[in-house]
Amino acid sequence: MSRGWITRLQDEISQAWAVAVKDVRVYYLTPPMIMFGLMLPLFLFFSFSIKREIGLEIGLARLLALTTFFTASSAGPVIIPLERRVGTYDRLLTAPMSLTTLLLGKTLVGAFFATLVSAVPLLISILGLGVNLADPGLLLISVPLASLAFSAFGLVFASIPTRSVGNIMMPSTLVRWPLMFISGIFIPLEEMAPWARTLAYFSPLTYAQDLMNHTVLGKGFLNPWIDVAILPLLLILFLIPAARLHHRSRVLGY
Amino acid sequence: MEIAIDIHNLTKYYGDLLAVDRINFQVKRGEVFGFLGPNGAGKTTTQRMLTTLLEPTEGRIQIYGHDLVQDPMPVKRQMGLVPEESNVYTELTAWGNLMFTAKLYRVPAGDREPRARDLLETFGLWEKRHVKVEEFSKGMRRRLSIAMAIIHRPSLLFLDEPTPGLDAQSARAIRKMIRDLNAEGTTIYLTTHQIEEANQLCDRVAIIDHGQIAAIDTPEHLKAAFQKVQSVEIALSPDGGTHGERLKTLPGIRQAVKRGDKWRLYTEQPSALLPRLVDYAEKQNAEIVSLCTLGPSLEDVFLQITGQEIGAVQHKTKTSKGKIRKGGQ
Ligand SMILES: Nc1ncnc2c1ncn2[C@@H]1O[C@H](COP(=O)(O)OP(=O)(O)OP(=O)(O)O)[C@@H](O)[C@H]1O
Ligand SMILES: [Mg+2]
Repeated sequence: MSRGWITRLQDEISQAWAVAVKDVRVYYLTPPMIMFGLMLPLFLFFSFSIKREIGLEIGLARLLALTTFFTASSAGPVIIPLERRVGTYDRLLTAPMSLTTLLLGKTLVGAFFATLVSAVPLLISILGLGVNLADPGLLLISVPLASLAFSAFGLVFASIPTRSVGNIMMPSTLVRWPLMFISGIFIPLEEMAPWARTLAYFSPLTYAQDLMNHTVLGKGFLNPWIDVAILPLLLILFLIPAARLHHRSRVLGY
Repeated sequence: MEIAIDIHNLTKYYGDLLAVDRINFQVKRGEVFGFLGPNGAGKTTTQRMLTTLLEPTEGRIQIYGHDLVQDPMPVKRQMGLVPEESNVYTELTAWGNLMFTAKLYRVPAGDREPRARDLLETFGLWEKRHVKVEEFSKGMRRRLSIAMAIIHRPSLLFLDEPTPGLDAQSARAIRKMIRDLNAEGTTIYLTTHQIEEANQLCDRVAIIDHGQIAAIDTPEHLKAAFQKVQSVEIALSPDGGTHGERLKTLPGIRQAVKRGDKWRLYTEQPSALLPRLVDYAEKQNAEIVSLCTLGPSLEDVFLQITGQEIGAVQHKTKTSKGKIRKGGQ
């Protein structure tokens, strides 16, 4: 029996991987992916940071939080409705793998894009601008961890039963922007009024920003291991409504 | 005879709309089962429920003895699906599409390439294997989507309207493929609205309309059971609109329908009608230009079963969508 269980697990891991690799190959250069995954975080960064006098390191930490958040959470909402529209999603849904496996595969895709997009400013800062990272080792796990959690966050919206990217981008923007503003991304947690800080804890972005502050600047507000622990918890937490909504689509017929 | 699919009181509501209404049927292992009905009858809805894509509102589906809701995994492994629209990844090549599907179905690594090659050759796509699918024609995409549906060698293959929109040659090639797969032992569940296709391919046919099954039988039996819709076709010269009324009064004629320059006369006994028609022509001082008897077509059987007016559909338009609706739309 345990032999069967191990084979099954191997199968599901390979299937999640196959889905992720396929998505990366198919969607990396599509206009919505470039628009929402690359331009949007850069736009947000420059519109809110350029005029203020912030240090290079603070800027880098903030940009990393923004790219992981927006790039990772855009992948699912771009890809899934497109796949629903052309019917290729049915292929994935009828394949002999669990819904969790499918969702994990889709989570990997967003995490991959976000890690890739984050690597660019990171390399430029280190190699070109001489930024010294406070904790490069921790950064190496922080970016993928944050990307995975936010990619799963994107899947919550991506799972809304619809075939149009627009129907998903609307609610996802309505939720992600306020989460960005209440997070500790523009005002450090230690400078916030207590009520604002309490509010900030409700934004997943807060934990990524705090973690990036630790890894780049060497100081944050929370214990970095709390951030490291919370991000995977968020990943699991976000997959639950995503799975529920997938079930809803099976009832409605999308 | 072993049962492949067994469904009991299967029902689907979309909100208030009742799309499939407590249907029951069984598909035997190794047969070609046709699911025939007009547009909007509930065919795709049924097929999507059978392939786990749609959750039934009520009822039970068992495939190979497994309850599809409780225990879908063993069934999914054995199932191949060709949907209404060819769902291929247009950004990938034919080869890329097949490799991806093979991985998804956990086809052993050593088998993937030989199987893909085999399928591409059979389907006439080998030369184009490295071309992105966005450059493929409709027929090529359809063939590729069938290849993708069978690369894991499913024992049960679902096809939703595999031939509409294809030229005669492509359609024939696909029908041949379905026959070949069946000959190798694959159970086929074929959704179609083309009576002729069901007639040619299926061992048994279920006829569905408005979410309800009107009949399930072999195409032969369905024909025999509806002797009523046999007919005689006659062309008279001079041809006048008044022939219809007068022809209808001849004994044995249920209905007279004008078809171009011919009259189609529905009767249960075509041979008995012939001498009467010769008589009629003589009395009317008309010449018989042509006269022939027609066996019941599944198309007429269909209209008969679903309570529609016989002869309401012209033969030439039998494949065009929307023409078979009640009241002619
Ligand atoms: N997702 C959906 N939501 C609401 N209604 C739907 C949905 N899908 C189908 N329907 C309705 O359910 C009924 C059955 O549709 P279905 O697609 O099963 O028909 P069909 O027999 O496959 O027709 P066709 O020959 O056109 O493919 C139709 O009235 C259709 O409008
Ligand atoms: Mg249909």
